[in-house]
Amino acid sequence: MRRIKTVYAAMAVAVALTATACNGILSDIYDEPRDSALGSGQLVVDATNWHDWYYIDFDSLAAIAATGDSAALAHAETSFTPYPIPTALTTEPADTTTGMYTYWFDVFGRGLDNYDKRAFTPTDAQPKPAHWSIAVHRNNVRTNGGAVFETNYSSIADLPPTGAAFASATFTPDEWSERDVWVDQSQMLRSLIGCQGIMVNKVLSSWIKVAIPPMPPAFTGNSHVFIIRFPNGKMAAVQLANYISPKGAKCWLTINYKYPY
Amino acid sequence: MILLRTLFPTAALMASLPTAAQMAPADTLADHTLDQVVVTGTRTPKSLLSTPVQTLVISGDDIRKADATDLRDLLSQVLPGVEFSYAMNQQTHMNFAGFGGQSVLVLVDGQRLAGETMDDVDFARLDMQNVDHIEIVKSAASALYGSNAAGGVINIITKDAAATWHANVNARIGRHGQQRYGLSAATGGNRWSTALTASRTAADNYNVSSGPNPVSRVVSTIYGDETWNVSDATVYRPSDRWKMTARGGYFFRQTKRSPDTPERYRDFSGSLRAEGRIGSKGNIDVNYVFDQYDKSDYQRIAHLDIRGYSNVQNSLRALYTHTFDAGNILSAGADYMHDYLYNSKLSGNTRRQDSFDAFAQYDWTITDRLETVAALRYDWFSDGPVSRLTPKVSLRYTPFSGMNIRIGYGMGFRAPTLKEKYYNFDMAGIWIVEGNSSLKPEKSHNFNISAEYNYRNYSITVGGCCNSIRDKIGTGAPYFITTDDMPRLPYINLDTYHVMGLDATLRARWQNGLSARLSYAYVDERLPKDKEGHGLSSEYLPARKHSVVAHADWDHRMSKWYALNIGIDGHYYSGVDNEEFADYYDVSRGTNVIHYPAYSLWRLQMVNSLGKAVKLTVTVDNIFNYRPDYYYLNAPRTDGTNVMVGLSVDIDKLF
Repeated sequence: MRRIKTVYAAMAVAVALTATACNGILSDIYDEPRDSALGSGQLVVDATNWHDWYYIDFDSLAAIAATGDSAALAHAETSFTPYPIPTALTTEPADTTTGMYTYWFDVFGRGLDNYDKRAFTPTDAQPKPAHWSIAVHRNNVRTNGGAVFETNYSSIADLPPTGAAFASATFTPDEWSERDVWVDQSQMLRSLIGCQGIMVNKVLSSWIKVAIPPMPPAFTGNSHVFIIRFPNGKMAAVQLANYISPKGAKCWLTINYKYPY
Repeated sequence: MILLRTLFPTAALMASLPTAAQMAPADTLADHTLDQVVVTGTRTPKSLLSTPVQTLVISGDDIRKADATDLRDLLSQVLPGVEFSYAMNQQTHMNFAGFGGQSVLVLVDGQRLAGETMDDVDFARLDMQNVDHIEIVKSAASALYGSNAAGGVINIITKDAAATWHANVNARIGRHGQQRYGLSAATGGNRWSTALTASRTAADNYNVSSGPNPVSRVVSTIYGDETWNVSDATVYRPSDRWKMTARGGYFFRQTKRSPDTPERYRDFSGSLRAEGRIGSKGNIDVNYVFDQYDKSDYQRIAHLDIRGYSNVQNSLRALYTHTFDAGNILSAGADYMHDYLYNSKLSGNTRRQDSFDAFAQYDWTITDRLETVAALRYDWFSDGPVSRLTPKVSLRYTPFSGMNIRIGYGMGFRAPTLKEKYYNFDMAGIWIVEGNSSLKPEKSHNFNISAEYNYRNYSITVGGCCNSIRDKIGTGAPYFITTDDMPRLPYINLDTYHVMGLDATLRARWQNGLSARLSYAYVDERLPKDKEGHGLSSEYLPARKHSVVAHADWDHRMSKWYALNIGIDGHYYSGVDNEEFADYYDVSRGTNVIHYPAYSLWRLQMVNSLGKAVKLTVTVDNIFNYRPDYYYLNAPRTDGTNVMVGLSVDIDKLF
């Protein structure tokens, strides 16, 4: 009788477990996607969209910071206006190179180093605000006439007190690119990508490395501090703190900055 | 040519081996293999020789000789007609004699597994360390398994917890940072016993290079991963009539594909089973199983582990068998399963489904030479709802001693999965894989026939099967909702689909320690078409028509302190043609036929037994240093010869 009771007890436990574990167990070992609190001297830019550039103006941010209005600064550090990338020509062409370049990339084979130019479509010039320091589009970065040096520092707090310490460093200016700013993936299955022809800073853009293959691409962040020297001689220090949104979207940029540096 | 190179040495080896007449008959092949008790075909214990349902067994001895880490590793070595290739994102896809993962039921001790990726279970979960043997029933001949079993059942039978103390530790290392560590321990008494198994594996990424102008996608980096696998089984026998088994398990896998966001896979499982005898002729088996399979992305920078997928299955099963005086057996049972699916790529994110089945089977021994098993099964799925009654029948005829002929028919039924109905996956902005809530269930007719002859040291089995699947579920041609939209790949019901298979296996075992096996499989998988007869590009590569697996080994004890087992394994896969869309954006341009080349791989293994407790294993994998010209998705993952060294110590035998 005792043994039969044991069997019944075991079956009762089984039924109880069925009722309590329908949606799974141990959900506490996982994290919920959450926005992390904005740190001091930190920007958050949702640059996940393929079709827009976002402009950052360090002078404006410094001016707001000088007022001591922390709410206004927090808003300015997290709110950026999208500037759509033109895909057609609506006015007279500015030059013979501005436009959309269609490249074949060996995305399903040997990788991005194997490519071929297939087409060029002139477009309007990229719109931009009156004042800006850098612009970001996914893993691409442009400077407003600046040049960039990658340091070996992994924290802005560890940098020398002023940018003068990097006076003798070799800064790399923006350069023309017609294969880096990927805009149109609608022909991806033919391995054709529409790319914007535009100046980009390849040193600063290396803060996110995108490897293809594999597909989907593999992203890797570079946490080094970069020094940007602008045409007026001012400097900024920037560091990519994160490039992934809490929900996992790539190119959601959290940027530490110090300006002027 | 590669086939000839594979077959010739194997055939020559078998021909040169001693004939049966030279051998003493006392230790025949039947002593080793055919007395194996199998349960998968009928859910009641039957000897492999007498079961009416043709069952293939991979014995514990085969598993030990293969030194396999997981199920993929094992089946690749020992079974022809089974191929593992890459699916998207380097997930492993199995083609099992023309059937994909959605049509092949992989079970552990009769229990289905939660979770899938690209329709396949996580093969890394299926650690071979604690496996007693594996039973395989091809096509729907397996009378009592429903949805997902049209292509067959692979049932992994784990070892029973021993009543005596036993402990083993083992390790193996190889190229590309391959590491495997294992631990097993068991102890018990008259009424109870428990067995714990743990394993850890790791492998690094490595690059491979292909030639110029590949005709299809190639892989440039083989991605490594790391796993942990822990399980425990405790058996309690409150009386001679009752046996209760509790199992628990934890599995963890983390990929090395993307360093900042490694993908994580976890499984939590537990079960409680009561088996007992009722009266002198009845047996009852009641089983509750919980299995939860999760996928998450670990954001290393933010230290966030975000879960994007969870499949939770709660199953309750009851089976009653009654044995009549004449030895005939009536089995009746029912299963209930609650299926919970959370998937961030699923429309609505969360779906639930209840399923229920009931079945009855009669195993009728008509004469000593003739036995038949007939079964009826009723399945019901709440999402729809859909239901179906399916009959199955199998027959064994033994015209004379040693010879068995088996014939079977099974009607198959597969309800569309929650993923196939509600998926909405934007694949990095390239295309959208789209579920279809209007999908009809697959219905299939499966016929199989086999003949088996056993004589002293030899066994030969020849079989064939023919499967016809109506309303097969697969992805259709891409379409656009608007001209500037990305293409959508919808799940649809395809045209009737046919798979025909033939296989033959010759086994031999001699008294002097030699044993050999040669298996051949032919699979004719008709490429899918839509209802209008248009060719489609299947999401998976089709089965290769011809495959051969060969094995020979020699066991010899040199002295009380040293024994040697030296074995050679080879397998050959023929080339295969696949239809692929000429242009995914304009399917009116039709399909191209893409050819994937044949290949053959060989492996040599030497197991040195030092005393009773220690085994040192040296394996030379890919002994001819084969490297594919192109690392297509179905190319072998080798980049040349790999030497692996393993050590196993039975701690209880040290003292």
